[in-house]
Amino acid sequence: MQQLDNQEILMKLKSQKQFWDIKKKVKQGFSDQQKIGINDIQKFAQSCEIEDQLIKLISHILKKSKKRETLKEDQIEFLNTSKIKWTELLFKNLDIVHQKAKNQEEDDTNTDSKLYIYDEKNLLAFLQTFKQQQPSVLYQNVQFQSNKLLNINIPLKSSQQILDKYQYILLQEELPEEKINKIRKSIENEHLDIELEKIAQTYVPNGERCLLYLKYFEFDHQETVLQQNFAKLQKECQNQLFIDELLEIDGHEISEDTFYFVFQEQILTCLKCFIRDKSIKENIRIQLQNGMKKEHAEFQLPVAGFFPFKNISKYVAPLCYLSTKIHIIYALFKEFFCRYFCFLHAISSEYNSILSLCMQIEEIVSTRSPKLFHHLKVIGCDTLKLIIHQLIYCFVGDMDPPHILTIYDQILGHDSLEILVILCVGFLNKYKPKLLLAKNYENVQQIFQELREDKFQELVQFAYKQ
Amino acid sequence: MLIISIRLQQDYSSNLKFKTSFRNCILEAFKRRLWKETEGDDWDIMWAEKEWIHEVLDHTHLQSNQKINHFRNHYELTRKDLMIKNFKRYKKNLEREGKSEEANNYNFFPLTFHLPSEYPIFFEEFKRQSANSDTKTAWIMKPIGKSQGKGIFIFNKIQQISQWKNTLRYNQDNPQAEAYIVQKYIADPLLIGGKKFDMRIYLLCTSYQPLTLYLYRTGFARFTHHRYDSEDISNTYVHLTNVAIQKTSDNYDEKLGGKWNLQTLKLYLMTKYGQEKVAETFYNIQMLMIRSLQAVQKIIINDKHCFELYGFDILLDAQLKPWLLEVNASPSMTSNTPVDFELKCGLLDDVFTIIDLEKVLTGNEEQIGGFDLICKGNPIKLPINSTFTTYLGAFNNRQQQLKKIAKSTAIRLAQTYSEGQMKAIEVGSKGQKEKEEKDKQMRSSSKGPQAMQNGSNVNNKSNNLTKQNTIMKRNTTNLPALGTMQNKSNVKRQPLQNAGQQQQIQQSQSNSSKKNNPNEDSMLSANQKLQKLTQESKINQFQPYKQQSQYNEVMGMGGGSRNLQKNEE
Repeated sequence: MQQLDNQEILMKLKSQKQFWDIKKKVKQGFSDQQKIGINDIQKFAQSCEIEDQLIKLISHILKKSKKRETLKEDQIEFLNTSKIKWTELLFKNLDIVHQKAKNQEEDDTNTDSKLYIYDEKNLLAFLQTFKQQQPSVLYQNVQFQSNKLLNINIPLKSSQQILDKYQYILLQEELPEEKINKIRKSIENEHLDIELEKIAQTYVPNGERCLLYLKYFEFDHQETVLQQNFAKLQKECQNQLFIDELLEIDGHEISEDTFYFVFQEQILTCLKCFIRDKSIKENIRIQLQNGMKKEHAEFQLPVAGFFPFKNISKYVAPLCYLSTKIHIIYALFKEFFCRYFCFLHAISSEYNSILSLCMQIEEIVSTRSPKLFHHLKVIGCDTLKLIIHQLIYCFVGDMDPPHILTIYDQILGHDSLEILVILCVGFLNKYKPKLLLAKNYENVQQIFQELREDKFQELVQFAYKQ
Repeated sequence: MLIISIRLQQDYSSNLKFKTSFRNCILEAFKRRLWKETEGDDWDIMWAEKEWIHEVLDHTHLQSNQKINHFRNHYELTRKDLMIKNFKRYKKNLEREGKSEEANNYNFFPLTFHLPSEYPIFFEEFKRQSANSDTKTAWIMKPIGKSQGKGIFIFNKIQQISQWKNTLRYNQDNPQAEAYIVQKYIADPLLIGGKKFDMRIYLLCTSYQPLTLYLYRTGFARFTHHRYDSEDISNTYVHLTNVAIQKTSDNYDEKLGGKWNLQTLKLYLMTKYGQEKVAETFYNIQMLMIRSLQAVQKIIINDKHCFELYGFDILLDAQLKPWLLEVNASPSMTSNTPVDFELKCGLLDDVFTIIDLEKVLTGNEEQIGGFDLICKGNPIKLPINSTFTTYLGAFNNRQQQLKKIAKSTAIRLAQTYSEGQMKAIEVGSKGQKEKEEKDKQMRSSSKGPQAMQNGSNVNNKSNNLTKQNTIMKRNTTNLPALGTMQNKSNVKRQPLQNAGQQQQIQQSQSNSSKKNNPNEDSMLSANQKLQKLTQESKINQFQPYKQQSQYNEVMGMGGGSRNLQKNEE
């Protein structure tokens, strides 16, 4: 992590509009005095909160200057070896998929089977194997723990902490028109992360969301750069890869959703560019798979550094509701994936990782709804198996796009995926009465095949219902 | 009571007869109403092709009860050239009358010329436009007499029509000369997913004097299957959204039919542009439709036998300004998906309800099924504190609304019936004259069962619908109301979809109707009364979930607490 010296900080400060506003304020405060001492300024700054603002500004600059490095190694050695095993497994799957695709080409009649390298169930099944592999000295004698699907000794936040963190959503009041307009204005004028995060945490008016995201990712004045980068990637797409075929199959699936079929082409273009984007490797916060060298070019990891998985289109789809410009959709998707969604596919002990989120959900459900937890276990449909799809794909396809974007707001606002834990718990609570009546896995599936309508606020409310 | 209603239902075998040559949703909608098909002239309602109107209507004497689906000279609005001519003329008249503000509102159609008659003016304009702009202005040629996108082409060089000009078509003396209109092409349409789309919106006109218009809440957006490219003007797949054209495209997906319903479109637009902008756009669309009809109001021959369901084709440009492409007198009633089928059958069913062959409506209804009354003589302005600027694209609560109407009609008719009976008893043995009067009353009240029948029909249908819904899963997601919010009462305005809640309302209705003074009751119209009742019960029953409605308000969504309440029960 590189550090800035004072001179550099000052330079960066000067480029901020807020810095000049503060300076103007100070000047006005001392307009009638001739001699000004440092102490006077300090006192004055303290009295009218200028100091706070300045501290915020400097911390913002420092935060921005930090270059986040991709997490390659986990603190827990066992997870590192698991990641290698996972990658090996995926390479094997790729071989199988490749073979299948070849066979299909030869035999036109059999084109139904959907090809993908892995899906959420594969990932969960892999995570499940951890239990057997790790000598669980810690939990050997603890009976109640054995009910859970995942029992790994990794540092976890207390589930109460997460519940407390998002409880404020419950108390949100309806906003009057003036307040909404005020928020609109502040999105237009504000550049500070903290402020933008605060807005995202509480309420983003429709129509302003794209601007907020762009500002947060510091893209707001870079449209031409984004456009050029995207055009370059599009050129590279002319070289067909085997992975493209898989992405196309994936695109067909998203086109079955009424809300997104219009965007099928755009989504596919974004994904094709994505797997060819070299900058992903540098920007992604966590390495998903450990690359292996193979002789044949087709069997290597894509340039992005990881294999695309089933339903990857789902992450792009809601963003198509934000802009008509494809390079902006792509830029937003790239940031969202590199900052947040990558954790949903990473084998890691990080707070945001799929492992942690899964364990949090199990923890909350088993303590707060033990009856449901036990019932699901008995009928052979564990809590996690039930919820993994919604968790990994951020409820895309389960909620209408505006609700999904509210989830995206929350993820960005808290720089964390923990909102998904809350929503999954809420989801289970919502269908709890029906689930308790289910006698087998087929019953459970029936429940979710019915027409249903889940909403963000509603699921949050259910999450806190005792 | 139950026995009576069963008896009445048994008595009710519809006497109404229909005639139509169509074999699509129109036939299905008629059949669903249990009306009988006839080949002869004893029909009560006829859904005719336009040609029949032109050829036969003028020579036919219609019975007072007969209804037909076109006005005699509808082509004044629905033929591309005449429509523009009438708009231009009306605009001029307004200017002459000094109503320049209203005249300026007639800016929703592109610059248009009639060919061959206006070729010289067009040529001048073409030259002027080409000289003024760096990029070549594109123009679109549409043959006047054809539909479904046939014969349409786009050009930006005058040479491109010279070939056409030299053919038989252009020769004015040639009797076969085919008339065209040429329009300035709207080059910056709003693109969604890189694709062009237009909207099909349904408007029902039941009378031109006074101008009575009903706007259907649901319509759809039709997408082209290819990415839009303003440079490539020769590829019709890119530019024309007509289903007939897109069907021939290689990658036409039958399952989705390349359509979004209006609610989904509104949801998209609201997410992208914010609700104020979208509310304005949809209001402008509504006004555009009213203005179109106002422009031809004095030209169309009004006839109490006639009604017309128009299909407006509207395009949004990148600034969300609506443009009228054309008005169809016979919008397609053929469906290409199950969702489409239900939409069209529902639409037609509501048309039949509004036409009121059964004569059970009061004529004051503001909403009938999915149709909202938007003009009766003058455009209807929603109250200032109203939550919506227009109901276009709002949640289509037709099922609930129809039940409501059936109920209010039943109450009203039952009252008329009992009043008649009371009178009959009072008058009793008095002279013959009164007896005749009593008979009259009885006759009128015998229409009651039809309303009841209507109600039960609706119930059956809704059952069928829910079954289908579950099969179609997300394709038919009942979108929440998407009207534009201006105050919090939106949530209250939402139909109560919860069975339990409805039961409670019914109870409170019956309670409060018991309490009400019967004299006062008879003074209120059935509709007002029903409104009053539901309002009372809503105030007592409705407890909005504040936290949840905050989000709902933004999206103009109501009824969000539906599932929550269900579970709590």
